[in-house]
Amino acid sequence: MPTRSSTRVVALLFLGLGAGLAACGKSDASADGKKTFGYVTNGIASFWVIAKAGALAAGEELDVDVEVRMPGPPEDAEQKRTIEELLAMNVDGIAISPVKPDNQLDVINEAAARTHLITHDSDAPGSDRLVYIGMDNYLAGRMCGELVKEALPDGGEIMIFVGRLGQDNADLRRQGLIDELLDRSMDSTRHDKPGEELKGDKYTILDTRTDNFDSAAAKSQAEDALAKYPDIDGMVGLFAYNPPAILEALAAAGKKGEVQVIAFDEDTVTLQAIEDGSCHGTVVQNPYRYGYESVKMLAAIAEGDKSVIPASGFLDIPARKITKDSVVDFRTELESLIAGTAEVK
Amino acid sequence: MSRAPLLEVRGVSKRFPGVLALDRVSLSLGHGEILAVIGENGAGKSTLMKVLAGVQHQDKGDVLVDGEPAAIDSVNAAYDRGIVLIHQELNLCGNLDVASNVYLGREPRRHGLIDHKTMRTQAQACIAKVGLDVKVSTLVERLPIGRQQLVEIAKALSVDARVLIMDEPTSSLSTRETETLFAVIEDLCASGVSIVYISHRLAEVKRLAHRVVVLRDGHNAGELARDEIEHDAMVRLMVGRDVSQFYARKPHEPGAVALEAEDIVVPGGAPEPISLRVHAREIVGIAGLVGAGRSELIETLFGVTPAVRGHLRVGGTDVRISSPKDAIAAGLALVPEDRKQSGLVLEMAVRENVSLPSLEREARRAFIDKRAEREVAGRMIADLGIKTRDDRQVVKDLSGGNQQKVVLAKWLALAPRVLLLDEPTRGIDIGAKHEIYALMERLAADGVAVLFISSEMEEILGISDRVLVMHEGRIAGELGRGELDEEAVMQLATGGQPART
Amino acid sequence: MKKILGITTLLIVVVAATAALSPNFLTAYNVQNIIRWSALFGILSVGVAFVIVTGGIDLSIGSVVGLVGCTLAMLLNPIDERPPGWAWKSVFQIQGCIAIVAAVIWGLARFYGRSRGSGRRLLWLGLAGAALFAAGRYAPGFDLPAWLHLPFVVLWVLALSLQIGLLHGLLITKIGLQPFVVTLCGLLFYRGLTRWVAADQTQGFGSGFTGLRKLATGKLPLTDDFALPVPAIALAVLAILSGVLLNKTIFGRYMLALGRNETATRYSGIDTDRYVILAYAICSLLAGIGGILFALDINSIQPSGHGNFYELYAIAAAVLGGCSLRGGEGSILGVVIGAAVMRVLYNAINVLGIPTQLEFAIIGLVILGGVIADELVKRLAAKRRAARQARDPA
Repeated sequence: MPTRSSTRVVALLFLGLGAGLAACGKSDASADGKKTFGYVTNGIASFWVIAKAGALAAGEELDVDVEVRMPGPPEDAEQKRTIEELLAMNVDGIAISPVKPDNQLDVINEAAARTHLITHDSDAPGSDRLVYIGMDNYLAGRMCGELVKEALPDGGEIMIFVGRLGQDNADLRRQGLIDELLDRSMDSTRHDKPGEELKGDKYTILDTRTDNFDSAAAKSQAEDALAKYPDIDGMVGLFAYNPPAILEALAAAGKKGEVQVIAFDEDTVTLQAIEDGSCHGTVVQNPYRYGYESVKMLAAIAEGDKSVIPASGFLDIPARKITKDSVVDFRTELESLIAGTAEVK
Repeated sequence: MSRAPLLEVRGVSKRFPGVLALDRVSLSLGHGEILAVIGENGAGKSTLMKVLAGVQHQDKGDVLVDGEPAAIDSVNAAYDRGIVLIHQELNLCGNLDVASNVYLGREPRRHGLIDHKTMRTQAQACIAKVGLDVKVSTLVERLPIGRQQLVEIAKALSVDARVLIMDEPTSSLSTRETETLFAVIEDLCASGVSIVYISHRLAEVKRLAHRVVVLRDGHNAGELARDEIEHDAMVRLMVGRDVSQFYARKPHEPGAVALEAEDIVVPGGAPEPISLRVHAREIVGIAGLVGAGRSELIETLFGVTPAVRGHLRVGGTDVRISSPKDAIAAGLALVPEDRKQSGLVLEMAVRENVSLPSLEREARRAFIDKRAEREVAGRMIADLGIKTRDDRQVVKDLSGGNQQKVVLAKWLALAPRVLLLDEPTRGIDIGAKHEIYALMERLAADGVAVLFISSEMEEILGISDRVLVMHEGRIAGELGRGELDEEAVMQLATGGQPART
Repeated sequence: MKKILGITTLLIVVVAATAALSPNFLTAYNVQNIIRWSALFGILSVGVAFVIVTGGIDLSIGSVVGLVGCTLAMLLNPIDERPPGWAWKSVFQIQGCIAIVAAVIWGLARFYGRSRGSGRRLLWLGLAGAALFAAGRYAPGFDLPAWLHLPFVVLWVLALSLQIGLLHGLLITKIGLQPFVVTLCGLLFYRGLTRWVAADQTQGFGSGFTGLRKLATGKLPLTDDFALPVPAIALAVLAILSGVLLNKTIFGRYMLALGRNETATRYSGIDTDRYVILAYAICSLLAGIGGILFALDINSIQPSGHGNFYELYAIAAAVLGGCSLRGGEGSILGVVIGAAVMRVLYNAINVLGIPTQLEFAIIGLVILGGVIADELVKRLAAKRRAARQARDPA
């Protein structure tokens, strides 16, 4: 009978699938008696691979389990799902870099109510998180502005490229950059709308273009900017993949070196370009320490030690400026960290 | 003057782009009357019915209901006046039950929700009126086609239809189902409902109609009162000429065995194996009721549903046929039952349809030989007298008869040894039917073995050299030329024994 | 010819309007960029056109682009710690797995009675797969010489995409699954596979492979300041081949016929399954070629995002270019122009300084407008033809 045997085939398929899945994952955190912490990123990127290395290193050191989760698109929904899963696993603490903190307050607060919750990389202002570990994105943005001033001491027209606006780190970096270039006072609550040309005494910010995390779109945006403003002086990429995309576009247009590139983060291409001189410099965070400090902090809190929490609720891991002078050292440092990833894995 | 006729059409004209479909057509319909409207395809019957049912609107002329001019400009307007059209292809949702179909679009409601209880009770009453004895919760797709037809009629009655227009209602019914339908129709008449009956089957018209209106090329060609309804008279009015000799067939001297099936088992059919032989220069008919497994047998021969077991020989050589491709390679060709579904690519040109099976043969290293393609299409159009603007006309725009000729042209271009035809003249007008018979004759004379299925007794009796009668998936008997008559065929088809055996 | 009239007009209108509004639009630099992007997306669109012509759909194109891009970069650039021969040994193992999977699917198809492949051939396929896998796994490691390594990797990556298409076709025809479902699963599966294979690390070619990268970024100087991007040549060649295949050969004719009515085509003795499989194979192969060029061009391939949504751009371009999702209708030239319209729009939005946030809204509206206009023109033409016939019945 065809029906009966096909039922059997389907049953076998499912059985095989189930067994395969069971072999792949584990579902309960406390199975081995160790404490377990969730480390949730805001997407998938090389940056987070370094952070993962830090988190795992801390886990190793403190003898706790660390579940690193990198949500794919749509990141906000995926983060919610990830948190729910971690809570279901009864983890002893979660560190998260929220994608859209304003809309995620419910999820974050619910998690905070059920386990120890801290934020890293990007904060969730107004939530019940215990502490925020990261850099001040506004200050980092101003740092980036300083690099632009170094690269273009006589002023000029620049354009900003970023994956997406509306998330805290992007908005604050951009604002810090603009405020520094326009020589405004320190005020991270200011907001200039994108799409408006901003003219200062020396510097003009032509526009801010977004690409929705698509590298092809990032390159295409850079090319279109070169087409629209053939005399542009500087291009600033605020997310890790933006500077490489800008450099590709410049290389194809034969304008490498003519237009100043100021970067964020430590993509290999970016670092190489700094060494070659086609990129003036980059502002780097310290993702390794985000991961490391997050797990360390969570482990201490889970043991009942609340004294580790700074009074301000903010543990600053400051950003650094990397230019031609410091790039070689920085690279060596980075390579040793990534090599550590392989070991820890 | 007693009371006004229930429905009257006065000088209605309707023009479509390129054709005057109706040219001042008039007719009237009395209370409880069965009026047959006949005519060749393209004579304007369908258009007239669509005008009456509010699907289309006439350009000129009036429709009167109970003597009052009525503006029937939508299907609902027609419903309001009690006029309902039952299409040839049934408009039922197979996945819904009988009650839901009867009340589709007019579901009784309570608090905005469907009131299933009321709907079921009322639907049960409706289907009882048409003598349908099933539960209203039965899914329509589970019913045989004849009963589905009755559901459609019940649906019409549920809107208090006074005029029921039926377009070819028996085209897919078995004889028994047809009889049931006729009984229902006569009952309805007796209760005062009037019927407009459209059919190509003149025997049915003769059996059922009180009066016949004949249309030809969009205008009234004549009218026959009850005692004048005779086959020849109807045909004369339809074609506009005298057709005394209906089938001009000459007996053939059969040649060698062209197709031989030995103990083949049709998948999903009867478990007993079937054997048959068709000789070159022979026309063999397969008769039987709908559902007797005739199409299934022929599709198995053609490899659409490959045989479970058994052997096939073509021209004396063993062949393995597990797809139409194999069948064609072996020299078989099939004119399928449903030409729109399986015979033609409707949106493609005549030329492209004709060349489809032979393209590969004519191609030079996979490149289409466009000149050869045009040439073959041109030859076939001329040879078969296909009425088309040119070989680039889209097949969809051709009449049924011409479409069927295109299907035949596809195969003739390949010069097959065995031609299988499944209901080759269904839904096409008498003139074209004739041409197709002549073509079958001609092919047989040229040495082709012809095996055809037909549900029309006249056709089976008229052109077969030999008839195989199927019943419940088996070949119930075989009738030679001398033994052929309607009664013998019906005996075998209904499971009885032939009188003379 | 008439079919592409509308889309060509649309292209000209958008180009003319943008050129009138911005002096930077018709510069050699900008036009070259548009041509390059149009060519890259055009290749994907031409591929999907074949599938659409047969009445199917391929939603996996973007994921195939991602998979191919990542695989190519990883195999060409084995990281230093990899053991010798890692690249070709991995290829052998993957290929072996694919062969075994194909044999299993084929076996399932036989089980359902939809395929007639002989059991022995299946067994051979499975055994060959196992042998390949074993060879990849246990053979001694040595690196291929560079001159062999590059063509080996590129050709195998293309073969991989071709096999993906064959697999889709096999599942759709022989097991009888719906194209939407099969390729939707493909979309998810290949994306996941890509991320897993690349461990979410961004891949690229660094500053190496400049020769190979010329395939995507190179330009052929035509005049003093205008040079034709190489991908445009690739698209031209592929489009001409595709046009010939679709319009001049029996394969194309069969695809068009089965797209309209598969039953009637099968009844005409055509092995329709074979041509459906062919269409999916072509589609995925072109997605693979496009994927290679995209990877070479962008040089920064994020496993999680590279190629996302590209299937939708490709389908949109095909529809703009006159393909009917009902099947049986399509023009390669129209599809290429459709892809160009999409890219010109993107570029126009940036060059005119329209906020990026409006990008999708504008493109969606233009496609909708184009399709509506096309439909109106068609009806108008039909009406006119009918009127002419009425006047002059001969």
